[in-house]
Amino acid sequence: MFDIDLQSRVPIYEQLYRKIIELAVKGALPEGSQLPSVRQLAKDLSVNPNTVSKAYQNLERDGVIYSLSGRGSFIGKIQKADVHSDILKEFDTAAQNAMRVGVDADTLCDRIRTLSSEFIQNGKEHQT
Amino acid sequence: MISFKQVTKAFDGQTVLDSISFDIPKGSAFGLIGSNGAGKSTILRLMSGVYQPDSGEVLLDGKPIFNSPDNKCRVFFVSDETVQYHSFTIKSLANFYKLYYPRFSDALLEKMLKAVSLPTNKPLSTFSKGMKRQAITMIGIAAQPEYLLLDEAFDGLDPAMRKLVRQLLIDRMLEENMTIIISTHNLTEINEICDSAALIHDNRIIFSRSLDDIRSNMHKLQLAFPTDAPAYTKEQLAETGTEILHFEKQQSVYHLVVKGDEEELCERFSALHPVVCDLIPLTLEEIFIYELEVLGYGNYVFENDEPVSQ
Repeated sequence: MFDIDLQSRVPIYEQLYRKIIELAVKGALPEGSQLPSVRQLAKDLSVNPNTVSKAYQNLERDGVIYSLSGRGSFIGKIQKADVHSDILKEFDTAAQNAMRVGVDADTLCDRIRTLSSEFIQNGKEHQT
Repeated sequence: MISFKQVTKAFDGQTVLDSISFDIPKGSAFGLIGSNGAGKSTILRLMSGVYQPDSGEVLLDGKPIFNSPDNKCRVFFVSDETVQYHSFTIKSLANFYKLYYPRFSDALLEKMLKAVSLPTNKPLSTFSKGMKRQAITMIGIAAQPEYLLLDEAFDGLDPAMRKLVRQLLIDRMLEENMTIIISTHNLTEINEICDSAALIHDNRIIFSRSLDDIRSNMHKLQLAFPTDAPAYTKEQLAETGTEILHFEKQQSVYHLVVKGDEEELCERFSALHPVVCDLIPLTLEEIFIYELEVLGYGNYVFENDEPVSQ
């Protein structure tokens, strides 16, 4: 269900944390869907159960998941505003980098318009 | 919980451990890392009750391990030496350990042996190094101790076997809440299985903390400034209030290893208006090297046409 990279510089609990948020944001884990238990996930990935439990604790602290005693952990309501602010931060960095090497604002704006019309186009194709 | 309280151990007047103290909570997977000859194996031998501390105490749930049969059978030590087992077969070894470990499980051993192709009726002297490790590790797991001590746990194991042993250990953590204590030079293994670790150097404990704490407190920082910007020295950058463990400069690009909180560091260095300010997590290997570099270990100077650091 979750892929992790044991060789990565990113700690395993952080990889799990990010992965679950990503899947929730993209709708692969919609609100209310149940996550595997700490035990199960530790076994499946053969990673330390304390690591998995740390990822779950952080997710719960940040309101991404909630747990019901005796029943397990579930995806909570994703706060769109938080997700947006993270993504916009990434956008800012990318835009700043581009401007730093001389890409001007007009080029960037044109690019966004192209991306946007492509996005709308793709959405229509999916519907039909 | 296993506790070391100001433990000192010397051999022939040579101090190997100098008043070390640390705790290993039950249910964790704990890594002992350290330079060659730092005293890792001595720590494991003290934990298993093979050695008696010269001073201080090695306690299991508050009671000394040395000379306590009740406590010793809760701990299993997989030594990196296998020569003592040479005349044993897996079967006779299992029978031998059954005398001391009341929870020894034949069924568990059989299940594990099914996954590998080890002969159970041939003496271990006919085994390769890796096969011996597999055999002893599986005997140790089958003994179902509360604390499994592994000296150079994965030494000589091929990648498939390493994965299998890792799965077996995790399975025991889940099923029996077994505590695992691993000494190794191979930090990848610590990274893959442990949740906390202690770094031992020069007869002392440098740190003993959770891996996440260790990692979140140390970063590689890459800074680049416009070519016309003034150059910074290590001291000038340290004036931002940052502990700099490693400093390298190539033209206007800086490679640093710094301590501190990620967000704080970002803020602090962004104030210098670099064109690049990247914080990269360190691998445990790098943390090991930089922590010990500060203590003057491994700082060899190699002859090089182009000096890269200053």
